[in-house]
Amino acid sequence: MTKLKTIGLSRRFLGLVAVNKVSFSMDEGEILGIIGPNGAGKTTFINLISGIIMPGEGKIEYKGQDITYMPAHERARLGIARTYQLIHPLENLSLIENVMVGSIFARGHSMREARRRAADLCGELGLKDLDRDTSKLTILEVKKMEIARALANEPEVLFLDEVMAGLNADETKDLIATVQRIARERKLAVGVVEHVMGVIRELTHRVIVLEAGELIAEGPYEEVSKNPRVVEAYLGGAA
Amino acid sequence: MNRTLARSLPVAAIGVAILLPMFMGDYPLQVARNIMLYMALAVTWDMLLRSGQISFGIAGLFGLGSYASILAVVRGGMPGWLSIPFAGLFAGLAAFLIGFLILRLRHTYFSIVTLALGEIFRIIIHNMHDFSGGPEGIVVQQGIIFGGASRNLYWLTLAGLAVALLASYWFEKSKVRFALTAIRNNEISAKSSGVNIFRWLLLAFVVTSAIQGMMGGIFVMSYGFASPETVFSADFTLLPLAMALLGGIHSTVGPILGGLLLGLVSEWLKLQIPYGHLVVYGVMIVVVILFMPQGLLGLARKTMRAAGRNRK
Ligand SMILES: Nc1ncnc2c1ncn2[C@@H]1O[C@H](COP(=O)(O)OP(=O)(O)OP(=O)(O)O)[C@@H](O)[C@H]1O
Ligand SMILES: [Mg+2]
Repeated sequence: MTKLKTIGLSRRFLGLVAVNKVSFSMDEGEILGIIGPNGAGKTTFINLISGIIMPGEGKIEYKGQDITYMPAHERARLGIARTYQLIHPLENLSLIENVMVGSIFARGHSMREARRRAADLCGELGLKDLDRDTSKLTILEVKKMEIARALANEPEVLFLDEVMAGLNADETKDLIATVQRIARERKLAVGVVEHVMGVIRELTHRVIVLEAGELIAEGPYEEVSKNPRVVEAYLGGAA
Repeated sequence: MNRTLARSLPVAAIGVAILLPMFMGDYPLQVARNIMLYMALAVTWDMLLRSGQISFGIAGLFGLGSYASILAVVRGGMPGWLSIPFAGLFAGLAAFLIGFLILRLRHTYFSIVTLALGEIFRIIIHNMHDFSGGPEGIVVQQGIIFGGASRNLYWLTLAGLAVALLASYWFEKSKVRFALTAIRNNEISAKSSGVNIFRWLLLAFVVTSAIQGMMGGIFVMSYGFASPETVFSADFTLLPLAMALLGGIHSTVGPILGGLLLGLVSEWLKLQIPYGHLVVYGVMIVVVILFMPQGLLGLARKTMRAAGRNRK
């Protein structure tokens, strides 16, 4: 079943077209890779879908409902959640309180219920010592907290913007397994942005490739990675 | 032991605050009233600050409430006691309407607009001669509330402070704290977690403005007089701000502690050097911001932590 769909979605910043007529869709239970060179528009695309910025043209549909210009907090309530490439912990709230926010405001749970759910979520992600300041967390813990915070919305669609960046090989492996388990158990549609192709290969069922804001290829990773346009986009970006 | 102390201290403080008039003459009671008035303003200023919004509009809402109260009594024949909650409602309603315009603004823009707001209220009152009494001010002919008995006026102000403290406690213990802290720390994250930023800012702005207006009502009913220069005085903005900063922001205890200290010091200074107290507030604000941004509370916390570490 299609959870999320964009039709000709575009957004410019002054002269630059950051996202250019992108149409795509995501199904329940699907893990979709979103790849492309630096500056391709991946984060902007997620910002458009989550309502952090508004599109110039095009349409966004969530479970058949038009949400193109819906405010971000309402989309969070409907079931769209995300993490941030540049992490934004709420530094004046403790670890568990950070996770409670989504439960309280996106779901409307009482504080007590939110605390219980947040503790469960943290447990599920292997986070301990939940009353710590966020400044005391390791990188892996911060990344897990970001995921827990997004999951506190009890979303149906989740975007992870470079959550693996900065982790070592073991930590990455650990987090890949965690994301797979979470997605499976919750039947989530997950959009994953990563620059490490090993992660994309292992984690995703399908990928879309953005280059200069345009969607240039789509399909299983094995297939797309042989696509000459994609190869060129990456080599061009690297050169 | 520490915890029992932490529990019994507020109870003791409340007891002392209520019983104080039994042991005090008129002058100290008036000083105490003044300090409590500023404490209430300091706490409400801090409550909005918890969302990251710095208001310079305390005097504006205080003055608006003052005039709402006194005009309701003098022109509308409202009983004095009733004009106090009325002042709160009036300021709250004004804040609700103004909030739609200004709560989209952030940082310096918000601060400057709140400052301008007070100025606008003052000029309107100033120019509405026939209704407001104009620059000369307006006097309650029917006599002051409680016949001016200083004990009763003390308790009235204490009740106003209690309202501010209860509201602040509610902000601290309920999900309001989560909303405001999330907004202060990162609005984008807050939105992504379902926080309707505008709604929570509006709540904080309306509640704090209503209490500031109500304190204005208490102030004018206690003196039976209001003029634009007295009730819109910059003191009502600067002092509470200095008190909260000195005591420690983002808490209920901080502004109360700062209010007590600065209130006593400034009362003493007023007697020594007229207007000298204003210089002290200015210097205080600068020193605190530069050298102890967490205020006395932050300093205390740091010292306790250091002591704890040494013991280990
Ligand atoms: N708020 C903004 N204002 C102006 N330009 C922006 C803004 N946000 C993004 N851009 C520009 O849009 C383009 C796409 O940026 P975006 O961050 O979406 O790329 P990305 O694919 O996520 O890159 P990366 O892999 O480096 O994270 C870039 O050229 C970027 O500079
Ligand atoms: Mg990016």
